[in-house]
Amino acid sequence: MNMIPDFKSIATKSPWIYRINAGSCNGCDVEMATTALIPRYDIERLGCQYCGSPRHADIVLISGPLTTKVMQAALVVFNEIPDPKVTVAVGVCPISGGIFRESYSVKAPIDQYFPVDVNVPGCPPRPQAIIEGVAKAIEIWRERM
Amino acid sequence: MSTQLTTLLAVFLFPGGLFALVLGLSLKGLDRRVAARLQGRIGPPLAQPFFDLVKLGFKRTMVPATASQPVFLGAPLVGVVSMLVAVALVPVSGLYSPDPMLGNLIVLLYLLMVPAIVLMIAGSASTSPYGALGFSREMTLMLAYEAPIVLAVLAVALRTGMGQGGVITFSLTDIIAYQRSHGMFLLDPVMWPALAAFALFFPANLGIIPFDIPEAETEVLEGPLLEYSGPALGLFKVMSALKAVVVLSLGIALFMPLPFDGIWGLVGWLVQLAVLMEIGVTVVRLSMGRMRIDQAFGFFLKWPLLLAIASVVTVTIVA
Amino acid sequence: MNFLQLFAHNLTQGPFTDPFPFQPAPTAKRFRGKIEFDPETCEGCRKCEKVCPAGAIRFTKTDKGLEFDCWHDSCVFCGNCEFHCPTNAIHQTQDWHLAHVQQDKYSMVAHGVIPSHECPSCGKPALFTAAPANKVKGFSEAEIAEFRALCPKCRGKYLRDRKSR
Repeated sequence: MNMIPDFKSIATKSPWIYRINAGSCNGCDVEMATTALIPRYDIERLGCQYCGSPRHADIVLISGPLTTKVMQAALVVFNEIPDPKVTVAVGVCPISGGIFRESYSVKAPIDQYFPVDVNVPGCPPRPQAIIEGVAKAIEIWRERM
Repeated sequence: MSTQLTTLLAVFLFPGGLFALVLGLSLKGLDRRVAARLQGRIGPPLAQPFFDLVKLGFKRTMVPATASQPVFLGAPLVGVVSMLVAVALVPVSGLYSPDPMLGNLIVLLYLLMVPAIVLMIAGSASTSPYGALGFSREMTLMLAYEAPIVLAVLAVALRTGMGQGGVITFSLTDIIAYQRSHGMFLLDPVMWPALAAFALFFPANLGIIPFDIPEAETEVLEGPLLEYSGPALGLFKVMSALKAVVVLSLGIALFMPLPFDGIWGLVGWLVQLAVLMEIGVTVVRLSMGRMRIDQAFGFFLKWPLLLAIASVVTVTIVA
Repeated sequence: MNFLQLFAHNLTQGPFTDPFPFQPAPTAKRFRGKIEFDPETCEGCRKCEKVCPAGAIRFTKTDKGLEFDCWHDSCVFCGNCEFHCPTNAIHQTQDWHLAHVQQDKYSMVAHGVIPSHECPSCGKPALFTAAPANKVKGFSEAEIAEFRALCPKCRGKYLRDRKSR
């Protein structure tokens, strides 16, 4: 039985990341792609991996102010992600609405609909800030496992 | 009784089972690490595939509401078991030769088809449209690469059988023994077409980038694996790790068994596996883009098939 | 065979990855990060509140004085406030360590109070502003302190009296 905490700490070395674009302007998405793909930031070094399917994900990065149209779809995709999962809101749009706040077609802030755990503000946040947010998310994920 | 015991050991301990699993996962880790270095990154630690596997064990398996549960959860098990048996079927030069009762090259070729079939079944059992797409792509690809590989292996079998005075032999142990006494087929110009055909088949069967069309992440969201999560997905990872060992060591057994024994045989074999993994998988997958399914189908029906037929013809003529 | 050259280059020149999570990351000199507010120099003109596109800046009048709040979870780091501020009371720092857990969401605020007090000459509540007074020629230190303590109406009177003196 004593092995289980060890295995858990091993398991937290492999967080797989999934992106949900909830009506983002793509600025944050570009930064997220940069974080993963450009040798300079190399998030794979931390064991992270972007996955194509929500079923494989551990950490969800949500960008965008959650437009009315995309809201239902985003919720469906979010519920497909198996527990334990951690949600990270990337950019100011999902956190507060940013410059789109109080628009008729925007549902921000998203923490009314999603259980957000970590916020990474910025418009867009720089890749290092996203890495920092993911690191915070991994800590939360470890507690949750 | 003792043959059954050795067979069981071969399936579950060495070279199959635990050993092959650790070996396969390490090869995957090496592949990811070297790929990262070739791209100018640092890359994940070597043990990353093990971490992934442990992580998947902690996740919940979700079965889609419309999916057939026994088929959905049984498919990865079938794949893993078939690969466990397949590893035990491939001899290692100077180190391990399987019991002739266990099976021969033909059984091995059958078992090599099972992972693809399992992926197809998994894709269709998940009732996801992406799974269905993956199903059709996997089937198309399999139809394309099965013929060349069978012909290439046939050429090797013919060459060995005729060299030994018979017609054809499907025993991998005999093939290795023949190469150990007559020099490996890698250095034999007559076998080069077969080698080329096998080299082209190899990325398609392992599902790496020019031919990873059924599991394309960016197109069909990992296709058949889309709906899998948790331990079931982990089983698929185990299956593909074992498959990498099977296909690589089959290639080594068919074309380049080392003339060493004992511990040097083991070391040589491991080095061969690692080098093949780097040249055949990492460099290939980093330097190419993904083909469309019609391009891949046309490609396999053109070059590998021609090469394989040529190899069978030359082998027959030379003998 | 361009890619082979590239592979060789990457292998020999080593990885190009920043050691960021384990060591501090390099930040550009003019990086637009966290907002910093200096209540000492602020005039309370509320221009920044007006030009802020994201509505992140808010001034509220309380008993303590005029309170400034910039919520970093809404700020888009455009630099408009810094550009428009007449007294350079608002600055953007190079600090980008803004990732935080959900509990801290509403405490990601740059806060400042321009203190309020009673005008020594008329007794009405006044803000401690008029920082550029030190740029006026001929003002001594004592005069500046005296001037800044007054309410806007009394300041006009003070200046007129000073001129006539």
